[in-house]
Amino acid sequence: MKRKKITALLAVFAMTVSLAAGCGNAEKAGTVADNAAADNAESSVESNSDEAPEETGQETAGEENAPSGEAQAVTIWYYWETEGHQVALDQVIQDYNGSQDSYEVTAKYVPFADFKKQLSIGASADELPDIAILDSPDHASYVEMGIFEDLTGKFDVGSYYEGTVNSCTVDGKLYGVPFGVNCLALYYNEDMLNEAGCSVPTTWEELMTTAKALTTDSVTGLALCSVQNEEGTFNFVPWLWSTGATSYDINNENGIRALSFIQSLIEEEVMSKECINWTQGDVMNQFISGNVAMMENGPWQIPTMQQEAPDLNWKVTLIPKDSEYSSVLGGENYAVINGGNVEGALDFLNYATSEEKVKFLMDKFGYISADKSIAENQFEADSPYQPFVEELNYAMPRGPLAEWPGVSDAISLAFNQVITGTATPEDAAAEAQATIDGIVK
Amino acid sequence: MDEEKKLTKNKNILFGIISVIILCALLFPLYWAFITSLKTEQEIFLNPPTFYPHVLNTKSYAAQVETGDFNMFRSFANSFVISIGATFIAVLLAVPASYGIAKYHFKGRKVMLLSFLVTQMLPVSVLLTPMFIMFKNIHVYNTWIAAVLADATIGIPFSVLILKNYFSSIPKDLEEAAYLDGCNKFTAFIRILIPIAKPGVMVCAIFSFLYAWGDLAYGMTFILDQERRPITAGIFNFMGQYGTKWSYLTAFAVVTIIPVALIFIFMQKYIVSGMTSGAVKG
Amino acid sequence: MKKIKNMFRYENVGILFVFPAFLYMLVFVGYPIIRNIILSFQDVGAGNLVRGTKNFILFENYAELFGDSVFRISLFNTLKYTVLCLIFQFMIGFMLALFFNQRFTLAKPVRGILLVPWMIPVTVTALMFKLLFATDIGVINYILRSLHLIQKNIEWLTTPGTAMFALICANVWIGIPFNMILISTGLTTIPKELYESASIDGANKVQTFFNITLPLLKPTIESVLILGFIYTFKVYDLVYVMTSGGPVNSTHMLSTYSYKLSFEMFKYSKGSAVANVLLAILLVVGIFYIKITTQGEEE
Repeated sequence: MKRKKITALLAVFAMTVSLAAGCGNAEKAGTVADNAAADNAESSVESNSDEAPEETGQETAGEENAPSGEAQAVTIWYYWETEGHQVALDQVIQDYNGSQDSYEVTAKYVPFADFKKQLSIGASADELPDIAILDSPDHASYVEMGIFEDLTGKFDVGSYYEGTVNSCTVDGKLYGVPFGVNCLALYYNEDMLNEAGCSVPTTWEELMTTAKALTTDSVTGLALCSVQNEEGTFNFVPWLWSTGATSYDINNENGIRALSFIQSLIEEEVMSKECINWTQGDVMNQFISGNVAMMENGPWQIPTMQQEAPDLNWKVTLIPKDSEYSSVLGGENYAVINGGNVEGALDFLNYATSEEKVKFLMDKFGYISADKSIAENQFEADSPYQPFVEELNYAMPRGPLAEWPGVSDAISLAFNQVITGTATPEDAAAEAQATIDGIVK
Repeated sequence: MDEEKKLTKNKNILFGIISVIILCALLFPLYWAFITSLKTEQEIFLNPPTFYPHVLNTKSYAAQVETGDFNMFRSFANSFVISIGATFIAVLLAVPASYGIAKYHFKGRKVMLLSFLVTQMLPVSVLLTPMFIMFKNIHVYNTWIAAVLADATIGIPFSVLILKNYFSSIPKDLEEAAYLDGCNKFTAFIRILIPIAKPGVMVCAIFSFLYAWGDLAYGMTFILDQERRPITAGIFNFMGQYGTKWSYLTAFAVVTIIPVALIFIFMQKYIVSGMTSGAVKG
Repeated sequence: MKKIKNMFRYENVGILFVFPAFLYMLVFVGYPIIRNIILSFQDVGAGNLVRGTKNFILFENYAELFGDSVFRISLFNTLKYTVLCLIFQFMIGFMLALFFNQRFTLAKPVRGILLVPWMIPVTVTALMFKLLFATDIGVINYILRSLHLIQKNIEWLTTPGTAMFALICANVWIGIPFNMILISTGLTTIPKELYESASIDGANKVQTFFNITLPLLKPTIESVLILGFIYTFKVYDLVYVMTSGGPVNSTHMLSTYSYKLSFEMFKYSKGSAVANVLLAILLVVGIFYIKITTQGEEE
């Protein structure tokens, strides 16, 4: 009796749920309950069947490839929120769609803070785009995840900067195409520098003296984004590398010297502790508001700076060195998702990486072409971008390493510890080294 | 209510003043957000800060509407549809459930109550991937329905736990009187108990709505197209690697808050009177 | 025997009412819980999320957590944060509820407007408080400076101790209306006659508060505190936007650390294990809640 009753209840309430959930589509909602109930019952099985790779490919391809005769869909995910970037990319896509009939490309904006998560979840659920334009240090992790198509031999990357090609190469195979590059350099407020009677710093010592001279009640000498994540690491590694230390070998004289130098900037109050909450964009805002006299930042800020503060008199120079000049390579790579519309993706990439399109995109983005032959003639000699092209010669990539997020976390933590004064440079270096050794065996 | 003696005139004024001071203190952050949204970026960085915008800057509001990809009005409508849907499901399911739990001591009652509680405890990192897979399988991924279904899971247990107290505070005699009048369990529930618990139902509806309105993680993860995303997702348009634009962010905040606040200020007469007049006489 | 039969007839009708909601939650939340438990016993990282074998390593992830200093910090932070937030928001909320329960003209409209902080999406609140607590441009520092309470700006969000304080302030601000409205509604369920007869008996305000208000509000207070605990304990958006767990991991909570491991570090299984620890703690609180609220109902 009891069982009967419950079975009847189940039926009734399955219907209730369908009605409630379906929003007019009872049939679909019915499946909701069924499917999910099945999932629930067999969740252990389910969690294994998620990963069947062959199924993955067919399903995605089947969904996205329209029947013959119509243009096949190719989707792109990217994370640039600047409108200028979005418009420029869209322009190239429109041109491409107009130039042929086989493929229809659409691009979707996925916020940067959400990008990794969306790719991870998408990978678990087989719901991925055909092309992803992603941050270069993350490339190797996704290659390891096995979601990117091997592009070896499909693109000629011979004339590209070596570092950018390395960032999308794993075990000698090419898993992506560099979109564009950037690196960090030192911006300085020329008026403030002249007023203080300083010359442009080239070494750490000079940087310290200059920063001290520039610091007043309302102005701090230097700012660099020091948030505790990949963005912070991006801004820290030039200082680390300049001493001769590497990302994986920090607990030595060199690594400690880099940490001590950053610490001394805080102790001498020529850099604000607030930097640990400033993104690179925030640092730029501080700079153009005149609260900061020098900053470490990238070329993509230039269009905004020119627009928002047209009267500000600033220049760019190499990041001052300890023992050698050093900078870090940034930028995005295109990656083709395997199992998606690979032909369409390749066709679009061939179009978008043509010299004319690359020039157009780089111009609008404030990026430097990853293609050396294009980059060398990209700017006039007096362009504010030119110092970045020079800095590129000293720029190295982060990783490439599938476990880079772990290494990066250790590095940014160490720098944050010395900035906030929660650890001495020695202890911070030792702790970071222990973490890194646990990751890179 | 008439028996209640009114406060003296002086006390009335004094309490009025105190209440306004409390109001100002608690709402100061909102005022600050509002004036910040009307300042230029340069003025925001001024030291000492200005307590009203010296140069009025409405650019940050214009930008909310103009930017091609992100349209404030559309995402506002999206949020509204999603929140209403989630509220509807939550109230529809939670009202009977809380009644059942409050009035019937069936076997497994405690377990059910506990399981409602448990569902409230999951951090988003646990829910996102499995829900995503489910929504994809039932083909609602990237639609409002996905966000509605997910948001309702916040409202239901909350409502059950709150409403349960309402129903248990309703004396049994009322229900029994209804049976004498020829009601059965269901008609008694609908005719007698729901009207009495109406203020509680209202509170649950409001809270369910607000949970859905404030949700960020679900809307962001289960809906990919900008055109269908809720308004909270817009926050990422102004916060990211290109810098925190305080004027834009605060303008966004104001636009997100004002309409909801208005709705509730207009509805609050009903809500509060419902709350106070719905008292159950012992 | 007859008794049992009776029970089926009357009490079990209750299941009919509860079942739809229960089923809904089982489907949408039950599956994720089970999946998460399985995941936490595996070794899933970037390499085997999509393909490759997932090995069962049983409690290795959990064992690893105990040696992980960030985990210990997160656990401690979550507890500290939750308890402090609850104390302040409950006390302030309660006082406001009592205050606005008086029948003065502005009581209802002002109480209505005070609900606004609660209506605001948490992400927006977090941004507002980030702005208020900023070191150089923040208005809180400015006010303290003007009152000569401080000489130098406090670096609220960049110093470990004060960053936690700022988070608690923001959360208390959100929590006050939540506590106030629930206690207010609870107060209305107390029959007026009780107060009247108490005042006839010559009881003063304090006596009535402790002898009538508090005992009769017990179910409401329990709900408010337990629900408050659960919602505060799994805090995510607020911390993520205001500090992202920094400076130097000092404001990481279990939820933010789990999120970071799962979606930023590609350590899916370890992230699940952290989430399960959070869940286990809340489960204990939940059982405690059920025990005290259903006590006395069943003789």
